[in-house]
Amino acid sequence: MPEIVLKNVTKKFGSFVAVDHLNMTISDGDFITLLGPSGCGKTTTLRMIAGLETPTEGEILIDGTVVFSSDKQIDISPSKRNIGFLFQNYALWPHMTVWKNISFGLENLKWSKEQIKERVEELLDMLKIREFAARYPAELSGGQQQRVAIARTLATNPQILLMDEPLSNLDAKLRMEMRTELKRLHKETKATFVYVTHDQLEAMTLATKICLLDKGLLQQYQSPLTIYGKPANLFVADFVGSPTMNFIRCEAKSVDKHTLKLSNQVLCLHFSASSDLTGVTGGPVTLGIRPESVTLSEDGKLKTVVYSSLPSGMETILRLQIGDLLLNSVVFGSLDFPVGSELNISFSGQSVVLFDQEGTFVTTGSLALA
Amino acid sequence: MTVQYRLKSFFRKPHNIILFVLVLILSYLTLVPLLTMIIDTVTVHTAEARRLKLPVGTVTLSHWAKVLFDPASVSIFYKPLLNSLITSLGACAIALGFGGTFAWLVTRTNMKYKSLLSSLCIFPYIMPSWTLALAWYNIFKNSVVGGTPGIFTALTGIQAPNWFAYGPFPIALVTGLHYAPFAYIMIGGILRNMDANLEEAAMMLNTPRSRIITKITIPIVIPAVLSTFLLVFSSAMSSFAVPTFLGLPVRYQVLTTQLYRTMNGLNPGQGYSIAMIMILLGVSILAMNQKIIGLRKNYTTVTGKSSNIALVNLKKARTPVSIIVAVFLFSVSLLPLISFALESIILRPGDYSPSNITLQFWIGSAADNTMANSEPGLLLNPTLYRSLWNSIKLSLACSLCAGTVGFLAGYAIVRGRGKKLSDFVNNLAFFPYLMPSMAFSAIYLSMFSIQRGPIPALYGTFAILVLAGTVKYLPFASRSGINAMFQLSKEIEEAGVIMGIGWWKRMTRLVIPIQKSSFISGYLLPFTSCMRELSLFILLVTPANRVLTTLLFYYNEKGWNQYSNGINLLIVLIVILFNFFVNKVSGASIDKGIGG
Ligand SMILES: Nc1ncnc2c1ncn2[C@@H]1O[C@H](COP(=O)(O)OP(=O)(O)O)[C@@H](O)[C@H]1O
Ligand SMILES: [Mg+2]
Repeated sequence: MPEIVLKNVTKKFGSFVAVDHLNMTISDGDFITLLGPSGCGKTTTLRMIAGLETPTEGEILIDGTVVFSSDKQIDISPSKRNIGFLFQNYALWPHMTVWKNISFGLENLKWSKEQIKERVEELLDMLKIREFAARYPAELSGGQQQRVAIARTLATNPQILLMDEPLSNLDAKLRMEMRTELKRLHKETKATFVYVTHDQLEAMTLATKICLLDKGLLQQYQSPLTIYGKPANLFVADFVGSPTMNFIRCEAKSVDKHTLKLSNQVLCLHFSASSDLTGVTGGPVTLGIRPESVTLSEDGKLKTVVYSSLPSGMETILRLQIGDLLLNSVVFGSLDFPVGSELNISFSGQSVVLFDQEGTFVTTGSLALA
Repeated sequence: MTVQYRLKSFFRKPHNIILFVLVLILSYLTLVPLLTMIIDTVTVHTAEARRLKLPVGTVTLSHWAKVLFDPASVSIFYKPLLNSLITSLGACAIALGFGGTFAWLVTRTNMKYKSLLSSLCIFPYIMPSWTLALAWYNIFKNSVVGGTPGIFTALTGIQAPNWFAYGPFPIALVTGLHYAPFAYIMIGGILRNMDANLEEAAMMLNTPRSRIITKITIPIVIPAVLSTFLLVFSSAMSSFAVPTFLGLPVRYQVLTTQLYRTMNGLNPGQGYSIAMIMILLGVSILAMNQKIIGLRKNYTTVTGKSSNIALVNLKKARTPVSIIVAVFLFSVSLLPLISFALESIILRPGDYSPSNITLQFWIGSAADNTMANSEPGLLLNPTLYRSLWNSIKLSLACSLCAGTVGFLAGYAIVRGRGKKLSDFVNNLAFFPYLMPSMAFSAIYLSMFSIQRGPIPALYGTFAILVLAGTVKYLPFASRSGINAMFQLSKEIEEAGVIMGIGWWKRMTRLVIPIQKSSFISGYLLPFTSCMRELSLFILLVTPANRVLTTLLFYYNEKGWNQYSNGINLLIVLIVILFNFFVNKVSGASIDKGIGG
């Protein structure tokens, strides 16, 4: 069972820490995304799993075997880790045809001619690139090159597929198509996928679990919906979701075990937690409200002014002004609102997030005007 | 982590093994010579013992004192230094003027015959640096300094004045023309790759063309210009053959000729001191260049994909400009060859009438050529064939060694980049470029004239020529290796690593085939340079392993003008043919990608 375990993996470039004591277990058959802003250490992490980069410290296990350990002084070469690696720039060999690109690795493994032929044809069909078999990479479009790169990577039947932003060079439409394709491949190959991306939407839609990194530090490692609904801290909350979550800084006063009275210059609210509020009794806190929880309602008591309105047909993204506070809101349907018009809103649902003074997740709950 | 484990994981990476081996070998072949040279500047040599009245080997500062702080210093050092600076600056101005203008014409105007002219333009750079000098000498020499007048006088009856025929003016001009193609390659490369939007944006605003050039184009190419300036400057500083041909008739000394005089004469210590100063100059010029290149990175927008900028329409001037450029390039490229051919077939020098023309210096037997010590005509001359064979053998050997080591160095330096070891090897591999050839070979002569460890005494052998040539041309080869590797993303190789493809196979099946033409130019440059090298080999060859260039000098010293011109013609033709051949076979060429 190809399970990948990272224990305290650290990578330093000189004194710069690119990945900081990363602990993570990737179960067999998972589709994991490594998500985070550019430069946060995603590629480095992936390359360490592959064995292309040597960790400074820590231990990596694949399928129960220690493939790297700084203590036990083990470092198994990439070719013995049973992995495939899909590079961001495809790294196709420009002097070989599509066929040769796919077969080259198999020839190296001393497969017989017939076996190679069979396998290459299977892959050409699987990725729908049979008609390009005799072409050179330079004669293919970006999307076709991408498919060839995938075929080449899958050729040796790796049980783990590592992918570094494989879709970032494609246009939006192709990207959508390839995402579907990747999900299908994940099912067909039954391999473990580790997928690097800086695009939160891509991470949300593809992954069984998201590993969110910032500045080399693990922020949260959970399923997409948990990350969306219960972000571990302000960074995660802000990074995931589009339009971004609304953050409102308030002073809290404890009312009872489940209720806080929250106020600032503009608002005065009651927060009812969905679980016991053990930690927070008062002081400064931050509320996180997803745009879809800011709803328009005729009888809403909160008056706002439309600051901007961005209709896209299926939904409209609004920026609403209350005093010096700006709130994002999403309204479903084909609607448009004149700038400067007044709208009444309320906060709906149970998924408002409460963060403490340090910006750490406390609990979720609902809001009402006081 | 134990030391053992660290070593093991260090040496598991092929590039680290290469770096390690290179450090050992290159330190021995470049740093030891440098140290030896430093020591030589403060010790008494056999040639100096009697004059200084000190035993051989004594430590002394008298060389330095004589070079820097003596009434004689002016003629030993300061005057030649000044002359070197003057001619080199002049050469830079000419190289940049001609090369830059041509680059602009090719990349920004609708001049005709661009690709033909672009190939023709590279000629002077491919030819040995002294080609133009010798041609100039053939054409403009006068009888004022003795000897027969040249072709110009024969045709017009006018004696070229001394300042025009010899000294700083022709030295600067000829050196400048030799390096103009280099300026063209550097500046043309930037102009071609530069984001044309920058210029187009200005054009939208109705800025006049002249303002676009002065305010936008020039500032953007300035770093390339500075870089070219410094490299031409340092090459011109270390040029030896040109000032020998054009300076010595009027006793115009520059640093290199002074170096040859002192090193070969009674003052090797002074020679080494001058060489040290030249090395220091070279290092500081290089440091400046490095700084400028560093700046350039965040200065110009080199996007790699040049959008099609609207070319300047030369209108009525189009045909005249194209013709003038063509005539100029033809005369710079072909006149020298014609002059060599002509000089090699006239019986009595200075008389160009048809009755004086003979082929005896090419195909005459020994008996026909009694005035040249019964030297058989060139095409029947066994010495020539032996030298030719030696030259080819030597150039092939040097190009194979330098090219291969350069490729490995380039590979290892790029793969290990960012690490101290890689930087160190990079500098080691480049250092020979800064050593004046003459001093370099003098050191090798003394280092390897006795047995050292496993290396037997090499004086008078072919091996020492190969060794010196390989190390001296390693900088060219390692530069092209580094460039080739930089253009190849490391993922291309890693895709192979993951599939378990071994290092050897990765090199031979992936890296080398993909960057074939860049790597071949890593072999091409040492070959061409070696074929036309003079100052490096002049101290090292013995009559038994004489090469074409030293044979040329030998005939020149003897005053057998027809022979030396004939050999010159041969050398130029071989170099050009070889370049042409490699270009056809591999597509590698020096001016690749700039011509229209
Ligand atoms: N070979 C290297 N040498 C020095 N620094 C590096 C190297 N590779 C990556 N880094 C640095 O490590 C950090 C993480 O890089 P990377 O893993 O590529 O980020 P990303 O999350 O964008 O893929 C970056 O700040 C980068 O500059
Ligand atoms: Mg990355």
